[in-house]
Amino acid sequence: MEFEFDEDQRLLQQLVRETVAKSRTLPEQQLWATYQDLGWLEAPPVELAIVLEELGYAADPTPFLASATWFAPLAGRLPQGSGTGVFDGTGRFVLDADRADEVALLTRDGVTVVSGPELGAERVEIFDPTLHVAHVDAPDLVAGVPDLALMGLAISTVGSCRRILDLVLGHVKQRVQFGVPIGSFQAVKHKAADMHVAIERARVLAYYSALTIAEDDPDRGRAALMAKAAAGECQQTVFADGLQLFGAMGFTWENELQIHLKRACAGDLLLGTAAVHRKALVA
Amino acid sequence: MKLASDPEVEKFRGEFAAFLDAHLPSEAEAVPRPRSSSDLPEWARRWQRTLFDAGYLLPGNPPEYGGCNATLPQQLAHQEELSRRRIYPSYNPQGVGIIAASILTFGTEEQKQRWAVPILRAEITASLGMSEPGAGSDLAGLRTRARLVTGDSGEETGRRADGGDHFVVNGQKVWTPGAHDADVLLTFVRTDPDAPKHKGISVLLIPTSTEGVIRKPFASIVGPDDLDFNEVFFTDVRVPRENLIGELHGGWAVAHGSLGHERSMLWLSYAERMDDLIKDAPSHEEWFATLLMDAQALRLLGYRQLSGEREPAELSVLKLLGSEAVQAASLHVLEAAGPEALLHPARTAPPNHMSLDAFTASWFERYVRSFAGTIAGGTSEIQRNIIAERILGLPR
Ligand SMILES: Cc1cc2nc3c(=O)[nH]c(=O)nc-3n(C[C@H](O)[C@H](O)[C@H](O)COP(=O)(O)OP(=O)(O)OC[C@H]3O[C@@H](n4cnc5c(N)ncnc54)[C@H](O)[C@@H]3O)c2cc1C
Repeated sequence: MEFEFDEDQRLLQQLVRETVAKSRTLPEQQLWATYQDLGWLEAPPVELAIVLEELGYAADPTPFLASATWFAPLAGRLPQGSGTGVFDGTGRFVLDADRADEVALLTRDGVTVVSGPELGAERVEIFDPTLHVAHVDAPDLVAGVPDLALMGLAISTVGSCRRILDLVLGHVKQRVQFGVPIGSFQAVKHKAADMHVAIERARVLAYYSALTIAEDDPDRGRAALMAKAAAGECQQTVFADGLQLFGAMGFTWENELQIHLKRACAGDLLLGTAAVHRKALVA
Repeated sequence: MKLASDPEVEKFRGEFAAFLDAHLPSEAEAVPRPRSSSDLPEWARRWQRTLFDAGYLLPGNPPEYGGCNATLPQQLAHQEELSRRRIYPSYNPQGVGIIAASILTFGTEEQKQRWAVPILRAEITASLGMSEPGAGSDLAGLRTRARLVTGDSGEETGRRADGGDHFVVNGQKVWTPGAHDADVLLTFVRTDPDAPKHKGISVLLIPTSTEGVIRKPFASIVGPDDLDFNEVFFTDVRVPRENLIGELHGGWAVAHGSLGHERSMLWLSYAERMDDLIKDAPSHEEWFATLLMDAQALRLLGYRQLSGEREPAELSVLKLLGSEAVQAASLHVLEAAGPEALLHPARTAPPNHMSLDAFTASWFERYVRSFAGTIAGGTSEIQRNIIAERILGLPR
């Protein structure tokens, strides 16, 4: 196995990073148009993971994740406009179902694609105000979560966690208490190190999942469960240590940390938590 | 990124697998068990020499040093084939993996022939003397003193002077696994007590038969007869100058090199322990899923590290993750076994004549030995310091 990005993948990562950093302040519509122009929706699994990690890092406001990893694997094509998928058998807490142009439903009779506006799913108020989530009311829904959806949410969550760690590192290097930067205290360092290890672990498992999907390897189902479970576990560590190390500043609405904490936590809760997937792995 | 490995690697793997099938010592041969990490029963010496002669001992080396110029991915395949079958290539692992490797990196041509080759060919065994009673995590605080002197008068040749034909060593090492069975010790000594502490250290090869070297093995937590650790005392020990490895006062570079050798493939031993637990204690509990994930993640990080474009400091991530994952899983296994885990000594898996008995010993022993992983070779706390300071850039 070769488990390092090749040259093209590295260039893509760089391009995504630059694009996302540059367009941070653009309105949602323009961001969406940019992603479409760059062909990111069509990216194969590993390249898609590269894009999603950076979009997670940026707390992307567009329906990219749902279109590429919830709609596409279910419908077997990209959505006209934006899309999402209903595949957990309940129709509850479906990402972007309130604003997707197309919704793919997994039902007893197979997959049907319906128009989003006609479906009229209503957005649910959740703790993360930047995330669109809605309940879908449709008959005969059955469960069959695509590997790509688990992987997509996992790598996006890893991106959020990386952002949290970067914010924490910036904070603890500059915040002075007892006459020194708090980042020089070992209790702080060790939490930061644990966050880093959790991120590295979840990150490689997410890319492994992407790689097994790309090559349609027999291990792909197991790899997707591992990716989602590890991202959830990572989030649990990074959320708790990250908020703790910011002190009261992390407890405010104004601090951008909150956006990424909520993204990360939502990423664990959607499509089954770490515990759910751990159980599935050993069932 | 790709799942498949190179055809060159698979060819190498196939050849090595066939070699193993053809040459593995039999169970009957392997009855005398190694009693310490520098004790080689006759069959184990033959086995190590067979690997050396075939270029399969340290495959990355050239043939004269027990290798076949294998690439990094081929070296990994070699390790994987060994660990899949639970085969130990050498029962003097530090001698081969750290000491001979350090001599090959830092030694002169003559030193390579005189020491490294015999260690690799299992003609002699070697143990590693770094730690002291006062120098554990703070290795650079070591105080075993070596004075460079001339002639029998023992006159010192001056603080930083290069003259002198031998060293006189006084001091003490501790832990030094296998020292009582070793022929030679790679010993870290202070040659310049006035220099900053990292700059006054040198490395000497000290034959254990030298007058003034006293070794006192002591038992580990596992049991009174588990004798691997040693206290080693040096009293006016004369060491010829030609036994200096690397530069005079340049021992810190060797220390980094030695630990580098140790750490670059160390993660594989944690991956092996995890594989052992996966095989020996399968479970439907959630902790088992964590173990599967840790094992997979560690391998992936290891493969990524092998690309050669990664900072050496990143090995700390592998060491920390691997050693702590083994420990956590071992505790779960211990608890899952309940009161049965009280039995000791005990066998928890079929014994394997080609690996250490410790790996199939009682659950308590397997758990408690996992602390070797989080203590030796830089403790978990030290690894966290390294990650925070060298990878994440936090202030010292
Ligand atoms: C199985 C085994 C094999 C070994 N093999 C060898 C060998 O071959 N050769 C050899 O020379 N030695 C060997 N050792 C010794 C080993 O290198 C030391 O045990 C290790 O370096 C730690 O030193 P110490 O035990 O003195 O602990 P200490 O350094 O006293 O540490 C005790 C505790 O304090 C913590 N601590 C210390 N400094 C810091 C710090 N700066 N920040 C935070 N926490 C800190 C440690 O993490 C640890 O938890 C071996 C040990 C074991 C258990």
